[in-house]
Formats: sequence, structure tokens, C-alpha cells
Amino acid sequence: MEMNRPRYSLAIMIISLTVFSFLIENMANDYILAIVCFTGINIVLAVSLNLTNGFTGLFSLGHPAFMAVGGYITALLTFPAEKKPLFLPDFPQWLDSFHLPFFPALLVGGCGAAFVAFLVGISVLRLKGHYLAVATMGFIIIIQVLLNNADTITRGPLGLNGLEDFTNTYWVSGWVIVTVYICWKIKFSSLGRSMLAVREDEMAANALGVNLFSTRSFALIVGAFFAGIAGGLWGHLITALTPGSFSLLMSFNIIVMVVVGGTGSITGSVLAAIIFTLTIECFRPLEENFGIYGVGEIVMALFLVLVLIFKPSGIFGTEEPDFVMGKHKP
Amino acid sequence: MKKYFMFIALVLLSMTLATPSFSAETIKIGALYSVTGYMSSIDTPSLRGAQLAVKIINENGGLLNGRKLELISVDAKTDQKAAALGAKKLLSQGVIAGIGHSDPSFVLPSAPLFQKKGIPFVTSGATLPTLPMMIGDCLFMVPFGDDDQSFAIADYSYNTLGVRNVAVWTDNSMDFTKALSKFYKQRALELGMNIVLEDFFMMGDKDFSAQIARLKNTSPKPDAIFISSIPNEAGLTTKQIRESGMTLPIVSGDGFDTELIVTVPGKELANDVYFSTHTYRADSRPEVTAFVENYTKEYGVAPENAFAPLGYDAVALIADAITRANSAKPKALKESLAKTMGFKAVTGEISYTRASRVPVKGVSIISVKNGNYTVEEIWMPKQ
Repeated sequence: MEMNRPRYSLAIMIISLTVFSFLIENMANDYILAIVCFTGINIVLAVSLNLTNGFTGLFSLGHPAFMAVGGYITALLTFPAEKKPLFLPDFPQWLDSFHLPFFPALLVGGCGAAFVAFLVGISVLRLKGHYLAVATMGFIIIIQVLLNNADTITRGPLGLNGLEDFTNTYWVSGWVIVTVYICWKIKFSSLGRSMLAVREDEMAANALGVNLFSTRSFALIVGAFFAGIAGGLWGHLITALTPGSFSLLMSFNIIVMVVVGGTGSITGSVLAAIIFTLTIECFRPLEENFGIYGVGEIVMALFLVLVLIFKPSGIFGTEEPDFVMGKHKP
Repeated sequence: MKKYFMFIALVLLSMTLATPSFSAETIKIGALYSVTGYMSSIDTPSLRGAQLAVKIINENGGLLNGRKLELISVDAKTDQKAAALGAKKLLSQGVIAGIGHSDPSFVLPSAPLFQKKGIPFVTSGATLPTLPMMIGDCLFMVPFGDDDQSFAIADYSYNTLGVRNVAVWTDNSMDFTKALSKFYKQRALELGMNIVLEDFFMMGDKDFSAQIARLKNTSPKPDAIFISSIPNEAGLTTKQIRESGMTLPIVSGDGFDTELIVTVPGKELANDVYFSTHTYRADSRPEVTAFVENYTKEYGVAPENAFAPLGYDAVALIADAITRANSAKPKALKESLAKTMGFKAVTGEISYTRASRVPVKGVSIISVKNGNYTVEEIWMPKQ
């Protein structure tokens, strides 16, 4: 019985998420719905970044850049043809013929981000530690500059807008389930164990026959795929994309979720994403009624400092907690 | 553990209590301004202007036989996501109109949500002339469009300053500055000016010596230079051009409407600068003097920049439309806003007579000579 506990946890998660999406889609107002969707997108981002930063120990800051790639690709593929003359007057003709429904466009966006991650990985993954962080930071800037200057396709600093609002709680919860499931499967497979080995001691892992470069590339590419998907969902929720949104600040916010949740713990990332997204919104009434703006951010920063002092490995460390796993540890 | 839960429950409870309850009588207007982040230096004065307008209207007995206005302000955090969320939040609280934003990149994610519900949104500071077309019939602009301000200063440089050869510098990092240059060049070519040099810089640049060297070596020599920038670079470029010994006139748009072009270079060097802006600075119309007086009395400082009166005007414009419609229903309000004719706002008269629904509004041409601002002329667009 105990062996099957994670499977039950997964089933409970799927059922409760489905029921939850159905209830909330029919009962809540647009504001609540949007918060729920952002929470879901943050879960996808945090869990996928955990794969790269948590399991494999790569310190990548590049998540927003992959989001931007996925977001722009999805947006351009789904952009309504009748709006193109007004919003994108200089759009190249040959690109006009590419038009896809939301789901395939999301997949293409995710694959695009993964492909970019592959290219970036070839050069960047030869670096370690701080150097990798700096290189991926540079990558964010490269993507931002490219988006700012490719006026004809991206409309530069003003950004793309007028996107259809496809994203709803069903799409988001679907992708949350897929992300959590895949990352879970990876974590408890031989591949996941070699990732953890690379993180703990790369020389020992290498000596035992783990291919460092391909393991790292895999982690970066899968992380980037889900970041691309999250970018697509994000764009079609806000209905606008600007290069400025995908900044280092966003990268910091996602990393904070991973660090607070526990580097390597999927449950931790999910919980941290929920806590962070909701707390900031909870402080809004306080900000608005008393005019003390920015309180939510201060409280979150304080929370981060406290976690780092009293529980430096995050809420759950690398482990999955007992209420998900049962007593049995694989 | 139980103590913690009690504590959390208490905090949540106090939050719900902190949300004041309102009588059904108030007319709710939503305000979306970025009071945190880099837009806050522009958006905060706008919000304060709007709050002042609400206060004055309520002190004078409100609207529609004594119904009070209520401004619900949500922080857009200089962030598109927060802007969209904030718009949804305001809409769920039953506002009859929204105001806000000084940059189109924040109007574009939030205003379409108002459009979808048929609730009017009045932007107090975004000047992109295609905004009403992009969003729909619920969007109204308080300021003029970027095309008007560029055309105004282009006409002035050709007709009054006698400029025939012009150099153009553009801040290439913002949509606003790029659009300003685009429209200036368009009008310059129509008038028959030559663009002898085009150069670029980025927001945050501190050293312009490379651009100045190119400017000096340009032939034929430019008669004037158009600099498309926001306030920070406005002061720095003026200072460095004048320090290099060049005395050619510097012309620009409302990005130069700042004290920085005098305080950064100093009074002696702040010379021969001309810019087009909202009819507000150095203006003596009664609306302007009354606004400056009220604002100073309320906040203890003079209005920081032209965005303060723009925020004030956004609320005043809505109040005027409510009075004319004799109704606080969004649909009636939208129709009445669209019919606004000759509304005397602090930043000039507003009429929505164009097909593009960008207000037909006067543009001030202001000259700076030895650190003194003077209104040279008021440029009016051709319908």
C-alpha cells in the first residue's frame, strides 16, 4: 500500500484541481480567476526552474528569457489575422500564413524555447557556478535587446498586445498537472538520480559514468520548455507582452520561490509559488486603504530573509514531505 | 503551532475589517497608477492630482444631487501583470469608469478589460495617437497625441526659428521617444527641411561625447537639433552640448518639460531650448492658477510636473460627462464623454471631434532663455 502513496497523491491532486477549476470558473469574479491563473503559472515556472536549479544544481537565471521566447512565438502564431494590419503593420508577409490554434501554438512556443536552450546550453553549460549565473543573466539582456529592436515582428519596447485571452483555469491547471507529473517522474528515475548526483559531487558522478554535459543540457532544455509554455499562458492571460516584463527581477522572483520551497523539492516549489503569489495580493487592500504601497513586497522580502536564516535549505529541503510520499522513500 | 494559526487568522480578519464599507450612493471611479517602480515619479503626481479633483468635487457637494465621488486606487507597480490584475480588481468592485497610466505599455494590458465590459477608461498621460483605435470606443485620452506635439515643434522650428537643416537624436529604448522622432521627421520632410544627421542613445546613458563629436563634424551644419528623450537625458544632453561650445537651438517635446534642463546645466547654459508640451507650464489661465494654488495647499508642494494636472483633468473630465449625461451609468457616461466639446481642463481645452478620437488640444511652445521658461505660442492642430 505504502508504495502507491505518491500515485494516490497525484490522483488526489488531479481530481481536486479539476473540481477546483470547475467551481472557480463558474463562481469567482475575473479578479480572483486571474490570481488563480497567475498562481498556476508561477507553479509551472517554479517547478520547472527547480528541475534546472534544484535537481541539477545549475544556477540559471535565464528562465524569463525562455518565457519571452515561448510567449512571443505563441502570441505571433495565434495573433488574429484581422487585427494584424492595425497592430503589426510591418509584419512580414511570409509569416502571415503561419497561424495555429492555442494548444499547438503553446507547444511550438515551448519547443522554440527548448531549442534556444539547447543552443545556449552548448556554449554556456561549460561554465560552472557563478559564471553560469552571469552568462544566463547576459542571455536575458540579449533576448531583451533583440525583442526591443526587432520592431517589425515584436513592435519593440511597446510590446505585442491585443492578444486573445485564451488562458483560463482549465488550461493552467492542465499544465500544472503535466509539469508536476513530468518533473516528478524525472526526479524518481535513474535520470533524476544522476541529476542529483551531478549536483552533489560532479567528479564522483562523472567517475560513475554520468555524462555531465548531456545531463545538464537535458535539465536546462526541459526547464526551458515549461518556461516557454508558461510564457505563452502568461501572454494570453495579460493579453500583452513587452520585453521589459521579462527582466532580471522576474528571474529573481522565481528563484526565490525555488529557494524558499527547497531546492529539489517539487512540493516545496508548488507551495512557495502559491504562498508568494497569494500573499502579495492579500496585502493589496492594506496598501489601498492606508496608502502604504509596496508593503506586500517588503513582507515577502522579509519572509525570504527569515527562511534563509532559520531554514537555509528551504521549507522541505530536497525531500518530498510525508503527506505526499507516505513513510516509504524510494 | 496553534498560536501561529490564530495570528494569521487575526491578520486576515483585520484586513477584511480594514476594507471600509460604502453607502450605495457613491460614484466609484478606479485609478490605475504605478506608485511604485520607475514610473512612480510620473504616476504619483497624477494620482495626487486625481485625488485632489475628487476632494474638491465632493467638497462642492458631489455630483447628481449630492452623490459623492469615490476614487479607488490600485497600484500598477510599473508592471504589466499588476496593471492587468489591477484592472480586473477595479472592475470587480463595480467602478463606472477608470483613469490612469502615463505610458501606453501599461494602458494596453489594462484598458481592453474595461473595453470588454463597456466601461470607459480615460488615460491621463499616455500619448500614443493610435491608442483609441487599438482599444475601442471606451478609451479616451486627456493629453494630445505624440503626432501633435511633434508637428507643433516641427512647425515652430521651421516657421519661427527658420531651421532648414536639422539633426535628430533619439532615445532608442522607449516607444514614446521613437514615436516622437518619427513624427518630427515626417513633418520636417513635409515642410522641406533636411535631416542632416540621425543619432541614437539609450535611456540611462551619461556620456554623449561621441554623439556630440559626430554632431560637430556634420556637414552641412545643422541649424537646430531635435532631441527625443525623457527628463533625465534632457538635462544631461543640454548640459553637454552647451559645454562643448555649440550654441545651436535645441528643440524637443514634452520629455523636456522638466526643471532638469535648467538645474543640470545651470542657468547660463540653459539657453535657446524650445519644447512643445501640455498647455500648463508658465501659463496664466485661471484654471491653471487655481489648480496650482489648490495643489500646493493640499500637499504642501507645488505640482511636480504636468502629469499632476493631467490626473486632475481625467477626473474632472469624467465628472463633467456625468453631469451632462445626468447619469452615472457606464453606457451613458461613455456616450457623453465622446460628445465632450470645449471642456476647459487645466491642461487646455478638450474636444473629441476627430475620427481618431485623440483630443483636439492646444500645444504650448515654451522657450528657455537663461533659465527662464516663457510660453512662445499655442499651436492648434488642424481638426
